[in-house]
Amino acid sequence: MARQFPMGVFAVLLLALAACDSGTAADSAGAGTAGSTAPTLSLKAQVGQKAFFDRNLSGGRNMSCSSCHDPQYAYGPPNSLAVQLGSDPAQAGMRAVPSLRYRESTPPYDDNAANPDGVTLASPGGGFMWDGRAPTMAAQVALPLLNPVEMNNASKADVVQAVRNGKYADLFLQAFGTGALDDTDTAFDDIGLAIQAFENEDLSFHPYSSKYDLYIYNKIGGTLTAAELRGQLVFHSSATGNCSACHYTGVNFAGNQGLMTDFTYQALGAPRNDRSIPGNPDPIPANDDPAYYDMGLCGPQRTDHTPAQLGTPDPYCGQFKVPVLRNVATRGAFFHNGVFHSLSQVLHFYNTRDTNPEYWYPASGGAGAPLENPGWALQPAYVPGATVAKFNDLPAGEQGSVDEEVPLGTGDGGDNTLGGGTAPRAAGSMPAMTEQQIGDLICFLDTLSDGYQVPDTPPAGGTCVD
Amino acid sequence: MIQAAVAEILRKSSRVTAEAACIAAISTLVACNSSDDSPPAPTTKTLAGVVAASGFVAGSTTGDPTLKAGYYSGATVFIDANGNGILDSTEVSGTTDANGKFSLTVASDFTLASPAQLVADIGTSATNTATAATVPSHLILRASAAQFADQTAGVVISPTSSEVQRRVEANGTDYATEKANLATYLSGPAFNLGTVTVSGADALADVNTLTGSEQYAVLYADNALTNRYTYATTKLDRHDLYPDNLAVKGGDPRLVGKSGVTAATIVTPLETQAPITFAQSQQAAFNVEGVPAFDSIFIIMEENKSTDVIVGNLRAPTINGILNTYGSLTTYYSTGNPSEPNYSAIGGGDDFGVTDDNWYGCGVVPSGPYALQDVAFAGGTASDGQPLPAFAALPPADSGHRAGYSAASATCGDAPTGGNVHNIPGDNLFTLVSRAGMTIRTYSESMNPGQDPRADSIADPAVSDKFSATSSEGITLSDTQAWPVRAQLYRVKHGPSIDFQTARNLPEFYADNRTIFGMQYTEADWKRQTAYPSFDASKWIYDQFGTDLAMGDVGNINFVVPDQCDDMHGVGTAGTDGESCALGGSSSNNGQNVGVTRADIYLSKVIDKIKASALWKNKQKRVAIVVMFDEGEGGSNGSCCGWNAGGTNSGTKPVTVDAHGVATAGTAPTNYAQGNFGHGNSIFGIITNQQDLGTAKKGIKDSDAYSHFSLVRTLQDMFQLADPAVDASYLNRAKYTEAFIAANILALPEFASSADTHFDSVRPINHAYVIPSTYHQKLYPGDIVGVQDTLTGTLEGVITPQVGPDASQDNVWAVK
Repeated sequence: MARQFPMGVFAVLLLALAACDSGTAADSAGAGTAGSTAPTLSLKAQVGQKAFFDRNLSGGRNMSCSSCHDPQYAYGPPNSLAVQLGSDPAQAGMRAVPSLRYRESTPPYDDNAANPDGVTLASPGGGFMWDGRAPTMAAQVALPLLNPVEMNNASKADVVQAVRNGKYADLFLQAFGTGALDDTDTAFDDIGLAIQAFENEDLSFHPYSSKYDLYIYNKIGGTLTAAELRGQLVFHSSATGNCSACHYTGVNFAGNQGLMTDFTYQALGAPRNDRSIPGNPDPIPANDDPAYYDMGLCGPQRTDHTPAQLGTPDPYCGQFKVPVLRNVATRGAFFHNGVFHSLSQVLHFYNTRDTNPEYWYPASGGAGAPLENPGWALQPAYVPGATVAKFNDLPAGEQGSVDEEVPLGTGDGGDNTLGGGTAPRAAGSMPAMTEQQIGDLICFLDTLSDGYQVPDTPPAGGTCVD
Repeated sequence: MIQAAVAEILRKSSRVTAEAACIAAISTLVACNSSDDSPPAPTTKTLAGVVAASGFVAGSTTGDPTLKAGYYSGATVFIDANGNGILDSTEVSGTTDANGKFSLTVASDFTLASPAQLVADIGTSATNTATAATVPSHLILRASAAQFADQTAGVVISPTSSEVQRRVEANGTDYATEKANLATYLSGPAFNLGTVTVSGADALADVNTLTGSEQYAVLYADNALTNRYTYATTKLDRHDLYPDNLAVKGGDPRLVGKSGVTAATIVTPLETQAPITFAQSQQAAFNVEGVPAFDSIFIIMEENKSTDVIVGNLRAPTINGILNTYGSLTTYYSTGNPSEPNYSAIGGGDDFGVTDDNWYGCGVVPSGPYALQDVAFAGGTASDGQPLPAFAALPPADSGHRAGYSAASATCGDAPTGGNVHNIPGDNLFTLVSRAGMTIRTYSESMNPGQDPRADSIADPAVSDKFSATSSEGITLSDTQAWPVRAQLYRVKHGPSIDFQTARNLPEFYADNRTIFGMQYTEADWKRQTAYPSFDASKWIYDQFGTDLAMGDVGNINFVVPDQCDDMHGVGTAGTDGESCALGGSSSNNGQNVGVTRADIYLSKVIDKIKASALWKNKQKRVAIVVMFDEGEGGSNGSCCGWNAGGTNSGTKPVTVDAHGVATAGTAPTNYAQGNFGHGNSIFGIITNQQDLGTAKKGIKDSDAYSHFSLVRTLQDMFQLADPAVDASYLNRAKYTEAFIAANILALPEFASSADTHFDSVRPINHAYVIPSTYHQKLYPGDIVGVQDTLTGTLEGVITPQVGPDASQDNVWAVK
């Protein structure tokens, strides 16, 4: 039976390092909302643009920011790999690469961050990286530059030297002042500021050029189809999709529209992306160590919420950032560990994590002939009576922080988490969404892709039309 | 010096020729009488009277305008034989003297019969002796034939004399009826000066002969009427088409065949316009763009709930009662997120790009174009007796008083270097009302006694009480224990005037920010205050709202802002801190909590108080209550009606508009395009005393699209604070009508490529437009999917968007 990994996963992988960082920004962004005015980039942003595409800013001189954050792929990965290879191709990352689009209004991380809806209770929110450990985009830049499994520069000095040697050294001095490359620490920070300015100023990082934008801004061509409208309803309905509870569609900080995130953190209990998944094309190498758990806010990469004693329930454990959903349909790797490779898989996981955990987690024991799981499941089959290792990417003591809101759980009682008393959905019970609703939801999510071109003649029928 | 002419209504054929000659010459008695072959001198009499005036003097610090009695000197008075309001060549005229007196010599058997009337034509060369200022704009006042017959001792032409005749014509009644109605209109508690009982004779008397509270009450009415009749005269002189474009049933006739207007919302005017007549102009000035003139409106603000969270919610019986029984707008959009931009939009038609709740100094670069110009306030006393302490030029410099402040902050500190500008320049409702000699107030619950209204309230452990309250619906809610006053019960982010520089600089600013009774904390509680130790709270008025209703001193426009416990917002920390006011459990955005109940109880108390007032019960006064929300809750996008319909990349800029209505894009303040986005659909309910006491239709649901900008336009129309023929007279984005946008699309790039130009544009709340039969009501899913009620288990508030026009084409403000 076929697991649902797009063929593109393998094909694109081979080409990834060689071919993906030659582009320049903006040409994939599409027209943008009507009346868009492209601002002239500031000098700092011009430096950032050069640096962003500069392969010399990696240890192997073979990888730029755009290698993983490809403008042709909404500044996300140009392939379906769960994690990307490093400048040192023997190394691989530990988390899926996010899109860099629509990040400019992300506030710094705070344990009690205000929710953008202005009403919902403060909770952990904000920050860059899956665990929010970089307070600003500028600070975020340093992390991949110096990470041995990413761009693998040995030191800040190496990075700054690469800029000094680069064709844009003069531009850098114009932007940051004469002598700006003299002090390594300052110059290194300035590189972060330059890339931040580029990400803030260049419209390709926030083009708002999706069909959804035409719809929201009431523009010609923005009429959603019946399927897309149904999907939008599922997205908002607290009894079915309930997506908008976290993937907030309203106006975010700084007036950003429809980012589909509230910048909070959630523990969804995603399956461990390791070799326990039969036929897994890209298990995370770090997960070969059974003692290693990537637990997001509580570490190990983030260090300020490390539990005093692992096994003592800690609400921060397992929590990862709620991502922006714009351009989600263009991705090939989902969740922090990239364990899923299609939207269909993701939505079915939300829908059946509790009702059919055997679809998602490894099981042991049981007896009898294995039962075949649906095609989108991670686990191909289930032996009747087998014990399912639910939430296997969290230590047993830390599974209480797992989210039980609709559609994952029932949302009834408690504080929305398993440990907080919110009731899960019973195994074998009815999931929150029907197959039709999941299909409609995917159609709606498709409208979030930038670069939408209004067809001359709208399609008369089809999956996402009727 | 009295100039006079001889006139007669010609009935006697034997004297036709001679009389006609005299009239045609517009000559004097002397000239006619000098004729050699003069017939026997006609027996004449003198028709004498005055043209009385009210004079507004700017600068009052009390919240009530300074008004003086006087006369119009240099005005032309004539016998308007044909009732067209215009001095025709055959009509006899004179000019008022320095004391406003006129004297027309007429035949001894002269009588004035309708439609003939006495008219005072007051040009810009005339002087209002009350202020010794020349008249700013041509004004026609009149006195009816019936009044002429009634006032045998001398006719008084005045704003009230015009008003009686206008009402006669509007209502198809007679002089005696409307004279009595006007007397009733003017009577009652007046401006904290005592209760006045104005007789019919006094209502039409020379206001200079009245005294004290009665004189002030009449002057106040005279001033507003003067504004209206000046506007009526402007319309007549300008040959305006009648009705106003945006009042034409079916839709704005200017849009027919216009390019840049979408076909889905095509207009089909059901009325034909024609040049306005004198009689029409008189009525049109009281029905600007189809919005009837009201005397007072109370706009009660609630917080952060989408339509579906409130509709059918058993915790909000008061609001649902209004929606079900009286009037509502079912496609109403907020315009910003979070609170502050919405309140600024309501106060002045633009949020200036603000996307947070921080204090008004944020983003204000010193010496930049938006630099703070606040000045110290020396203290004083409000019109209702509230002692006003002195305040420094700026509120106390800490984050407790100034949200978001720290001295060194680059955006919200002492010398910001950038950030979204929170200090909005230019006019707003507050400056317009002030300039018109009328009144606008903000009644806010739970300000610390003695605090600066430009600062957030602060905690006061000395003021503590246990919440317990019962609504008029019989719903009781109680906390289990007393809680002290927490910080931020009152917040300036909920003040519709606070972000406007010119509003804060009005001399009456401090007097117009007033108190309203609370629920949790009593007067005695607050008088134990320690937050402002130097303030003597003994004379502090705890409930100016109640006082003002009792004493006739509420404003024409009144914003009622409950504290954050009583507006569905909530304060404090999660859990039980504050119980029914606790943030989260008690006040989260799904409405399934006691915070909604608590706010609804408070609302019922506010409404009960208004309904118990002499103002509400005076049927001759038109009074409206609006219950609305600043914004929807999480999970919804967008707005309508003047919004930034292109988002952060739209290139939107504030525009300046010239006398011909041509817009030019101005300089956008930092991040202006981040604002005016909206935050979804919310509730807008209306009840008027004309429905409550009179025969005005109830149960009106208007589904045309409206936003906060539409509300601003509506208030400008309702209180005659703008002129539909002058686009620039509407505040900021309130001027963005469909015709205006189509004509100025290059300056308004956010509206390019619109799929629905009607939806994107502003109109007053008047339901003139008739929605096409195939049109789908635009509501955002996040606001209409409904909420599972935790008490009943049922899904409540699910709203199915309407297709086609409303069941009935009614205006929520209709008075008949």
